[in-house]
Amino acid sequence: MWRILKNELIFLLRNRVIKAITAGFIILLLLTIYLGSLQTETQSETYKAAKSHLREQWESLDAVNPHSAAHYGTYVFKPANLLSSLDEGVRGTTGNVLRVEGHVQNEIAHSEASQMQFVSKFGKLKSSLILQFIIPLLLIFLAFRSISAEKESGRLKFLLLQGASKSNILWAKLLSVWLFGLLLLFLTVALYVLINFNSINTDTFKRLSLFFTSYSVYYFIISRLTVFFSAIWQNATTALTTMLGIWILWSIFLPNIMMSTIEKLYELPSRDEFQSAMKEDRSEGINGHDPKDARAKALKEKILSEYNIDSLSALPINFDGIVMQADEEYGNMVWDKHFGAIRDITTKQKRAYQLAAIINPFISLQNTSMGFAANDNYHHQAFLLQAEHYRRDLIKTLNDEHAYGGSKTGNWDWQADNDFYSSIPDFTYRPLKFNEVFFRYRLDLIILMCWVILTCLFVTLSSNKMKIA
Amino acid sequence: MRSIFLYEWNHLKHSSFKWISIILFLFAALYGLHNGKNLYEEQSAEIERIEAKNQQERVDNLASFSKDSDGGRLSQPYLAIWFSHIYHYKKPSPALVYSIGQAEQFGYYKRVNIRASPYDEDMTNEIANPERLQVGMLDFTFVVLFLLPIVLLILVYDIKSIEVERGYLPLIRIQVGSLFSWILGRTLFYYVLLILLIIALLIYGAVLTDVLISDSMAFWNMLFYSFLYLSFWTLLYLVILYFGKSVMGNTLSMISIWIVFVFIIPAAVHQYIGIRKPVNLMTGMIDVRDMKNDLYELEDSILRKQLFVLFPELKSSVTAKTDDQSFISKNLDYYAISNELMKNSLAPIKAESNEKNEMISSTYWFNPLTYFSNKLNRISETHYQDYEIYRNEIQLLVDKHIKRTILDTWNKVKVDQHQYEKYTIELSKIK
Repeated sequence: MWRILKNELIFLLRNRVIKAITAGFIILLLLTIYLGSLQTETQSETYKAAKSHLREQWESLDAVNPHSAAHYGTYVFKPANLLSSLDEGVRGTTGNVLRVEGHVQNEIAHSEASQMQFVSKFGKLKSSLILQFIIPLLLIFLAFRSISAEKESGRLKFLLLQGASKSNILWAKLLSVWLFGLLLLFLTVALYVLINFNSINTDTFKRLSLFFTSYSVYYFIISRLTVFFSAIWQNATTALTTMLGIWILWSIFLPNIMMSTIEKLYELPSRDEFQSAMKEDRSEGINGHDPKDARAKALKEKILSEYNIDSLSALPINFDGIVMQADEEYGNMVWDKHFGAIRDITTKQKRAYQLAAIINPFISLQNTSMGFAANDNYHHQAFLLQAEHYRRDLIKTLNDEHAYGGSKTGNWDWQADNDFYSSIPDFTYRPLKFNEVFFRYRLDLIILMCWVILTCLFVTLSSNKMKIA
Repeated sequence: MRSIFLYEWNHLKHSSFKWISIILFLFAALYGLHNGKNLYEEQSAEIERIEAKNQQERVDNLASFSKDSDGGRLSQPYLAIWFSHIYHYKKPSPALVYSIGQAEQFGYYKRVNIRASPYDEDMTNEIANPERLQVGMLDFTFVVLFLLPIVLLILVYDIKSIEVERGYLPLIRIQVGSLFSWILGRTLFYYVLLILLIIALLIYGAVLTDVLISDSMAFWNMLFYSFLYLSFWTLLYLVILYFGKSVMGNTLSMISIWIVFVFIIPAAVHQYIGIRKPVNLMTGMIDVRDMKNDLYELEDSILRKQLFVLFPELKSSVTAKTDDQSFISKNLDYYAISNELMKNSLAPIKAESNEKNEMISSTYWFNPLTYFSNKLNRISETHYQDYEIYRNEIQLLVDKHIKRTILDTWNKVKVDQHQYEKYTIELSKIK
């Protein structure tokens, strides 16, 4: 088998058309890596400028009442991601700017897609576009004649007479095409590492390894299936058209249909319904701005009895800050309930979509690609959760200062100084750890491996069924 | 030509692979049309539900006038207008059945009040799974723009080349005379077949949302651009077929051209724009927050002067004549001037978006897919421009709310049931 494989590789390297196509693809891949990195860099600069601009505004806050500062709030921006230059995932469709303030949890807004007219259905010219859509097509073109051409030329008979088994011939054909795909994939990842060498840490390296693995496995499946059809069908054109049909179904048709169907199975509420439900639940809690509110009165009684006094004026702390924090904590509970429900639905949608890979391995590839590139919905949700936790810490710090910073109840003129505001740390996004991501995508990796086993069974099947002439 | 068509029909009848492709195409198109119809119905139902809720709120508010002889809190213009529960909607076009376009990127209902802005957080897309948004929804436009060229490819890829490979071409050349007419005739057969399919599908779509009754121009435009797009691909393939010599060579050339036009060019343009004009993080709009804070620091008289510049008609108002302005809240001045600040801050953001759009439009001559996508989105009113118009309408309504609130407050208008009803009608109309 190894001799046949060696001969196949020599043939691929000697073929002028394949040489030209390879050169073209290498140039295209290098270009996508370079442009991808350039775009990530540009976006990072915009992000850094916006972040420092907002931080500057926060740090130059004059002495103001902490509750005014809570209303003033700040903004957090979704940071650019190093791996975005490989696969941008959902980045183009999700918002980038999130207002952080007291009393309310805002939605992330201002996505890239909403800032211009339609350009491209398949996103930007990133490596993932070439690796997911174009390279598999190239592998199909390289493999669809692999066996039929041998049959037509009579070389297959010759090889069998020389003692090669059908199975060995099929494996050699498969491996030669697959190795070609791996070469292009390796070049892509290697160049990416080279360009971003200084920024790559262990976590990124692990992500890249699994990114590489999932593409390698998918290329194996595609190469294997094409060789299978080339072996069982007498006509090379039938093998090509079958594989083109499979490619269109897998990469373009099914992901679209499956995702839409799953969204209908696990339906999300409309924004208006969602907000009305949140508003209703929130109205059951304390209203920090309404002293007549019954729950605020109960809280007042509780605090007075804790301090063993009968009037707020005798209270050594500021009750307004306490009631504001109670209002916040109730609001947080409501947010956890409702946003938790949304997250549960999207998690169910994702799980169903992952399972859909049983009939379409491209889904697993797409999932793992954007997942390991840290640009999937899990990472987006993680960003939103971290931003919300930051909001809670920020508002609690401000409410605590309001309550225990030295002012008395009703004294809204009391002000915390600039040093206090500057001492509050800025928001920093911590990307998900590799282990968490791996846990989320192990199902996709398992399904991809199942496909490998299944296609390997085809090898046995096709070698048995393969007609020599 | 008739004999060529009959010959090709016979050929098609015996090609199961081609039939499977046509059936799959039809299935995808029907699925896409139903997706469009579902979105149209969902949006229409949601608008209806919200409007019914608002209508109820308004009825309750009107009832409060009869309970309270002086109208209670709603007797003041500011509160009456605030509680008029006016929403502005971007009602879906029936042509949404054909193209979902950018409909899922933007909000389509918005409560209008004196503090609203067309760039508020609630103007973003409906709650949706971002991974679904990224994959996109399969609509009729997707089927036409992405799958139609593939179906055409499958139908015509072996024209002439298979005869070349089998050695029949010299015989055919003798029989038909002009080889080009023979290739053209055979290709035209599939062109006509696909046109008929498109017409049938468009009519089916029209039945789903009554496009022909409510927006017949959309139907004809959709038909025109679909024909144009199909003609573009037919022409390209015709050239390949005429010069091609092998089935494999033709297939490779056609699929390569398809990849270049469908994937590479639009993606490269998208990447170029991403580098030249990165995502706007809206810091210009955020800065208005500090400007608004500065407004509060201003002396009342300075603020009021600015208000008089904005609304010169205030000089002849009842309050201006009596000189007693103390009862008018400073907040009103603040909201009016803040609104102007916000509009000024949004101007460069809009200009940047326009620049991006112009950059995209300037690539149309070599980027047909994006051109046709945007044309079809425009027909179904799901283009960026349609949402820009919607945002502008919201801004006009906000301006109108502010003006009415201020003028009526300064003119000491006492709101009664009739006036409240007048507000709900007048302030929900753009003109």
